[in-house]
Amino acid sequence: MPNNHNILVVEDEWELAKSTLAFLSENGFSPFHAKDLKTARKLLKKEKFTAVLLDLGLPDGDGMSLIKEIKNFKEEIGLIIISAKDALEKKVQGLELGADDYLTKPFFFSELNARLKSVIRRLNLEVNQELACNEITLFPEQMKVLVHAKELELTAKEFGLLLYFVSNQNRVLSKTTLGEFMSSTYVDYGFTDDMVYTHIKNLKKKLAESNCKDYIKNVYGVGYKFTVA
Amino acid sequence: MKLLTKTSLNFISASVMFFLVGSIVMYFSVRNIVAEDLQNRLLEQQNEFFNTASQNKLEDLASEVIFIEKYQKELEHSFSDTVLIVNKKYMLYRKLQFSYLHNEQHYKVSILQLQSQSDKLFKKIVIMNVGFAMLFFLIVFFVNRQSIKNSLKVFYSTINKLEDFQVNKAQELTLDTAEVDEVKKLNVVFERMSEQIRKDFEAQKEYTENVAHELQTPLAIISSKADELMQADNLTKEQMEQLALLLETTNRLSKINQSLIFLTKIDNRFYTEGATFSLNELIKEKLVLFETAIEDKNLKLALDLKDATHIYMDPYLAETLVVNLLKNAIVHNEKGGELSIKLENKCLIITNSGTALTFSESDIFKRFSRSEHSKKSLGIGLSIVKRICELYGFNIEYRFQENHIFAIKFSN
Repeated sequence: MPNNHNILVVEDEWELAKSTLAFLSENGFSPFHAKDLKTARKLLKKEKFTAVLLDLGLPDGDGMSLIKEIKNFKEEIGLIIISAKDALEKKVQGLELGADDYLTKPFFFSELNARLKSVIRRLNLEVNQELACNEITLFPEQMKVLVHAKELELTAKEFGLLLYFVSNQNRVLSKTTLGEFMSSTYVDYGFTDDMVYTHIKNLKKKLAESNCKDYIKNVYGVGYKFTVA
Repeated sequence: MKLLTKTSLNFISASVMFFLVGSIVMYFSVRNIVAEDLQNRLLEQQNEFFNTASQNKLEDLASEVIFIEKYQKELEHSFSDTVLIVNKKYMLYRKLQFSYLHNEQHYKVSILQLQSQSDKLFKKIVIMNVGFAMLFFLIVFFVNRQSIKNSLKVFYSTINKLEDFQVNKAQELTLDTAEVDEVKKLNVVFERMSEQIRKDFEAQKEYTENVAHELQTPLAIISSKADELMQADNLTKEQMEQLALLLETTNRLSKINQSLIFLTKIDNRFYTEGATFSLNELIKEKLVLFETAIEDKNLKLALDLKDATHIYMDPYLAETLVVNLLKNAIVHNEKGGELSIKLENKCLIITNSGTALTFSESDIFKRFSRSEHSKKSLGIGLSIVKRICELYGFNIEYRFQENHIFAIKFSN
């Protein structure tokens, strides 16, 4: 389902860019690729973008310089830094310059997807804030979920998992992916991949109790998939 | 010993030496001069005697200091010292004795000169000389000292600035301009050296970051390709399991890489911010983040955190230290096990149950040492803890007495 969101991927590593572009197309985005700062500047002038995925180490300079330019050019463009540098000061610096999020390489596409959607939601207030999938309706800002128009009580972590699943429909999410998501989102240092199982079991139980269809399918014991026909 | 003290001591010892030798030499030469002068005066008197003796009666010439007596033969003229008693006082005289032939009769003539007058002169000369020399010595000493002090002022400021120099601080090393060529040269060398060190340090920092970049990007490609492959509909269970393992391993590899980079950064003294914390607050704050894990393992938690224990550290390192220690004590704990955290006398003691190590106790802080039953652990957390402790001079110890016991003494 196309969503008319143009996304600019600034990444010099072609293989990674290729996968990212393919992933974005599959998820209904219209991706554009720039292999360096020069191309990125040219494209920014030509096209209207909803969001930019920005790698920092580029052949013709540090991506940091582009952050201000983009934000000065148009405030509503979502900006996610994707960098191999996990340095804390880089993160702080990037966010201070106006970036909306920071993702460290290697990242999972499902994580990117969830973050990208969240950034777009936050920056486009006119668009409805809710996220609907058949009988499930999520309100990410209020952390509220309705099933068959009735509110369902979930813990913060269960809500986070459900939001992650709904953002990544029909996609196999491995335990590693989910574990990484949980421990980084909830700054939970002791969260192991094995705990994913417990949380999903509880979530599935609560959803079933409110007569929700069983969307979360186990895939060969290696992961889960939120299946929507 | 200070440079100034050293040069002053050298100056004093050399001066005292020369002064002693000089004084001795002067003493003897002045004495010689005075004695010669006395002898010359005696010879002058002798001449006078010869001149006057031919015209006058010999007896009239005799006086208090000229003695004339008949003598049977001629005698060589000679100088000698003699003592006379004048007014009951012993007086030292210099005597010139010679023969005088008068009317076919030999006379022995003795002319005396009082020596005490010459002695006085001699003493005055010596005292004056010594005095002047002393005064001169003192003046030279203080002038010299002051001038050395002045010329070394820049040198000392250079030393102070070098002491304060930190390679990881943005501030450049700027030294005062010196007048003395040697100090000027020294400062130039130091400035050049510090610049080089700073450049190397920056290059190394950049290198570390580049390594991260270079390794993380290929890992990102592997991870993204595996993730994409997983989405195919026609995979068998085995293929799916292999892809999941690939994803997990890549993730693990990336974490090891990040941890190693972090260790390198600690080694490069990258983290040098300082702040004072209450360790008990920090531990309580971080424990919250492990709630799920503690619940999951059903651990019995025993806390004794009354002692605030203020420590001065980089905030990020302090956090990492606490988190890694807690993580170790929780991850390597057993279901229903015990976890005790105690702060006392600037000492943090963390005790956790768990099976004994399968490797030597002394290797616990080494990179990649981990027990066979905890293959999932990276084996870097505790070496990071150790490195942080080393950086701040904290003493960390491990021992196994039924439980695993870690003790850190926060005093340096």
